[in-house]
Amino acid sequence: MLVWFLPLFLVLLLIGLPVFFALLAAPGALLWLTGQERDFGLLYRNVYNGMDSFPLMAIPFFMLAGEMMNRGGITMRLVEFSQAMVGHLRGGLAHVNILSSMLFAGLSGSAVADTSALGSMLIPAMEKQGYSRRISAAITAASSVIGPIIPPSGIMIIYAYVMGESVAALFLAGIVPGVMVGLGLMAVTAMMAKRQGFPAATAKAGWDMRGRASLRAFFPLLTPVIILGGILGGVMTPTEASAVAVAYALIVSVFILREMRLGDIGPVLMRASITSGVVLLLVGAAMAFKTVVSLSHAPEEMAAFLTSLTSDPLLMLLLINLLLFIVGMFLDAGPAIIILGPILGPIFVELGVHPVHFAIIMSVNLTVGLATPPMGLVLFVASSVSGERVERIARAILPFLAVEIFVILLITYVPAVSLTVPEFFGFIKETSP
Amino acid sequence: MAAILAALRPLARLNIALLATGRMLAILLLALMVLVILAQVFFRYILGDALNWTEEAARFGMLWMTGLVAPSAYRWGGFVAIDMIAMALPRLAGRILTLALLLISFAVLVAAIDLGHAHIFSGCLFKSATLWLPFTLEFSLPIPLTGADLTLCTRATGIAFEWGWAKMPLALSFLSLFLGIIVMTLVSVELILREIAKLGGLETALPAIRPATGTES
Repeated sequence: MLVWFLPLFLVLLLIGLPVFFALLAAPGALLWLTGQERDFGLLYRNVYNGMDSFPLMAIPFFMLAGEMMNRGGITMRLVEFSQAMVGHLRGGLAHVNILSSMLFAGLSGSAVADTSALGSMLIPAMEKQGYSRRISAAITAASSVIGPIIPPSGIMIIYAYVMGESVAALFLAGIVPGVMVGLGLMAVTAMMAKRQGFPAATAKAGWDMRGRASLRAFFPLLTPVIILGGILGGVMTPTEASAVAVAYALIVSVFILREMRLGDIGPVLMRASITSGVVLLLVGAAMAFKTVVSLSHAPEEMAAFLTSLTSDPLLMLLLINLLLFIVGMFLDAGPAIIILGPILGPIFVELGVHPVHFAIIMSVNLTVGLATPPMGLVLFVASSVSGERVERIARAILPFLAVEIFVILLITYVPAVSLTVPEFFGFIKETSP
Repeated sequence: MAAILAALRPLARLNIALLATGRMLAILLLALMVLVILAQVFFRYILGDALNWTEEAARFGMLWMTGLVAPSAYRWGGFVAIDMIAMALPRLAGRILTLALLLISFAVLVAAIDLGHAHIFSGCLFKSATLWLPFTLEFSLPIPLTGADLTLCTRATGIAFEWGWAKMPLALSFLSLFLGIIVMTLVSVELILREIAKLGGLETALPAIRPATGTES
């Protein structure tokens, strides 16, 4: 009986109940119907306990750092830097968009932040140069999924929190996959540029100009080095590194680039507190949901069902790719990880898949789902930033999605793609099977 | 319908004031959280003398920040939802669905108030490991028209305050979510009344939901 709360949850979600309420209403209703009201208290307590975590604090801090860098002209510097490097290629601004996303990903951990920050700047610029609005929006949306793959990453912080993995290992494991998505998107862009005659953005920049752009982008580009360096050097926990990133962003924006005034701090803090407050509530609600998931024996049933389909780990991974991809279309990555991670993770670890490898498969799958029609969150943000209709962006994004799916398969079947870097830095033990 | 508008206006004013206060405090807390964690890093690595209270203090700040901004996020439509069906339906059907969804959310919140009340009392005996306060505080404030009360560890109406150092009871931390839910319930009532007014064709007479200054742009 209790197992019915999963379908009920989906129905509530699809008719438009906010995810936060759906996560609580579905298990609540079923507990009530089965006369287990005394577990209501458990549900409530777990919302609170789910939010009460030091590692999760990296989420508001990274969001705050991202907001500050955006307000402080750091995004602009990254775009200028990208322009000096790849602006002369055919389809220059499209390449600039993708490269900026990769650089921005090193500062921010959210695809939505990436879409709105870069989209509001680059989509109008691309249109002015003759790109169609839907292509401009599609490239912005497709490349913004790199945000949570290249560290820092909000969803990897959540994954590490729920599954007890090391944040540092997950961050490191995301680097190569993120770069691969970026390069893949650039390859598609290059092909499209040739066929559809995209313009180059600028004349080829000389090395002096590139040098100047690099210098102007030097302090912003140092951010990921500080964050990762601090974590990898064992000097700081990820949460502490995120607080240091805030201080660094403030100093760079206010005193070095001088684009942000101290008076801008209030609104920046407010936006960061509201967006992260919503994420934290979702995490809390998803943790409560998770307790009822375990009460319902759904994980065991699901595991039995999956293993009854096939015992071949490779085929099973393909099925999971499919499942996660579909889930990602409908559900935000954070709640999806909290709900599905504890169900799916153990099944695959049992089959011999490395936990960090599985974390990356799951994170990348769900992140790409953010840019996937019909419900991808990033598509909606791209639509509101560009003024283009979601359906048109959804159609234009298909060739880019094809590359991203290809990268997902590569990540899934070649563990070395995600495991080599964390192994090299000694954050995971030998992974030979 | 006139009665609904008459009820809506003061409620909207109350919510706007409560939410603005909540946001101001939340901003302050977020800034303090950053400072406290920076101090933690500074003391541990530069001075070699780790502070023991910073982590818990920052978590306390984060929980309160979340409780204080949640109602603003809810009122401004910041709670992620898939609204395709309500948009695709004919106008009237869409409105009715929206109202139904608001009522479900309201039911969740009302249930949560009850649970939150019990949760607070469960945290009165347990004290924080590292946080001390220069006072002890207990209160129970009845919430008008509802029969419920906003409480911190007492059922006797009123505020009891006394100076003197004491370990902070965990209930003070628990209060963040409870208060957030109570204010979200107020917002929920406002949103429901708005939707009913819209069904009654009074859309243009409704007070604005967004701040006019565009502080959230």
